[in-house]
Amino acid sequence: MSALVQTELLGRRAIRESLRTPEALAPTLFIPVFFLVVNFGQAGRIFPSDSTPFLYGQTYAAFQLPSSLLLAASFGSAALYLVEDIEGGYFDKLRAAPVSRSALVLGRLIAEGAKTALLTAALIVIALPFGVTIASGPAGLVLLLVLTSLWGMVFAGFMQLIALKTRSAAATNSGGLVFFPLLFLTPNFVPRELLTRPMEIAATFNPVTYVMEALRSLILQDLQWDVLARGFAVVAAFGALMLFLNLRLVRRYD
Amino acid sequence: MNALAIEAEGLVKQYRGRTGTVDAVRGVDLSVAAGEVFGFLGPNGAGKSTTVRMLTTLLTITSGTARVAGIDVTADPDAVRRRIGVALQEAGLDPRQTGRELIELQARLFGSSAAEAAQRADELLDLVELSEAADRRIKGYSGGMKRRLDLASALVHRPEVLFLDEPTTGLDPASRLGVWDEVRRINQRGTTVFLTTQYLEEADALCERLAIIDGGRIVRAGTPASLKAELRTRLGLASDPTLDEVFLDATGRTRERAAGEVQEVGA
Repeated sequence: MSALVQTELLGRRAIRESLRTPEALAPTLFIPVFFLVVNFGQAGRIFPSDSTPFLYGQTYAAFQLPSSLLLAASFGSAALYLVEDIEGGYFDKLRAAPVSRSALVLGRLIAEGAKTALLTAALIVIALPFGVTIASGPAGLVLLLVLTSLWGMVFAGFMQLIALKTRSAAATNSGGLVFFPLLFLTPNFVPRELLTRPMEIAATFNPVTYVMEALRSLILQDLQWDVLARGFAVVAAFGALMLFLNLRLVRRYD
Repeated sequence: MNALAIEAEGLVKQYRGRTGTVDAVRGVDLSVAAGEVFGFLGPNGAGKSTTVRMLTTLLTITSGTARVAGIDVTADPDAVRRRIGVALQEAGLDPRQTGRELIELQARLFGSSAAEAAQRADELLDLVELSEAADRRIKGYSGGMKRRLDLASALVHRPEVLFLDEPTTGLDPASRLGVWDEVRRINQRGTTVFLTTQYLEEADALCERLAIIDGGRIVRAGTPASLKAELRTRLGLASDPTLDEVFLDATGRTRERAAGEVQEVGA
């Protein structure tokens, strides 16, 4: 059986697992919505749409939406399910079967990508009443879903590394908190050129900045290929790195 | 099938930790004939599970060689995986799936088509008497049901060699007897069974030959009858000793010292 079919089978199983744990899915939607509402509520009047150039005529909620999308994509719950599999012995059951090691890694990541696409679509729908539109049109919407999903897979890959290395739910959960400093060291509230110099330098070195700017460009403007290229390059580079490290760890797993 | 289902020579497993190197298995030699039920006994921490995990490709081998179903475990682990069934100490199940989903997925991962997997799931669930619970989530199963399902999932591809690592630990006597019946039935169909257990009566009831491991080394090997006869002769006993006594003699433990390590049960 090909690794592709095995990946699909394990991906389906991971999706089924998520659907059967709605209580774990709820915070991944609720917390990003909470941040969107609170940030828009607090700063919406500071940045009115008619006199704030970087909003391109939309509300401040449109500017904030990428942060919420990235937050929703960065819970990495796939890794926590993996720890459960390790602790419960199911991971060993799979390892003792002739299952491709890449399918063991990719099955969960692809399921995480699909789940992120659904969450992204739900968040966009929720953001519509706040005056958010996708200025880049249907093609932009598809790119938005794809880029957010790819980021979800990259971050889940990072979390899976912690899970495989530590085999501990507590350590994996704590590892996920790494995303918060990364999220706040971005042009999260204003564009990069309006940040203070130290923050601008930090944001420039932070890869999440480029994903956020690419997502934001899709929401606020027409297709900006140079910005999109940087965002996709970041997920491609980190995706390849995570895949390589995950595969190495699974193959050496003892 | 190869005449020997399992061969191991000088099998060693060392773990390197912050406090130094730990020798979990220190040169185990094993030979298990095709079609037999082989018992692997030992107190906690003796190296039973580590040996099983090396033979089933789950752990790397530090030194020595192992062949399962005629295939070198290190050289071609995937080929070994296609020929073995594994039910480990902790029943490796996914509690969010139903019994049927779990068996079907396992069968698909071993290369069955969807239709074949569905048919095999029906057969196996019937074999382990879980047909009625097949569409319930596993998290609602009792310990005995989980063990039987784990056993069924290890059989999806009709393995040549079945590894059972303490398959009855924690089960009530009725469930234990149920698992024994399954093991006998599976063996009668030609599958070699490598069984680790802490229950000496279990080994006596099921195994044609056995080996006792202690401190990472094999300290006794033979048929239960030959081991008892050897101890009887050596100690000049009036009647055959029990397997418990063979075990205690082999591991140098007294009954008092072994009380917390080996459980003697009657099923």
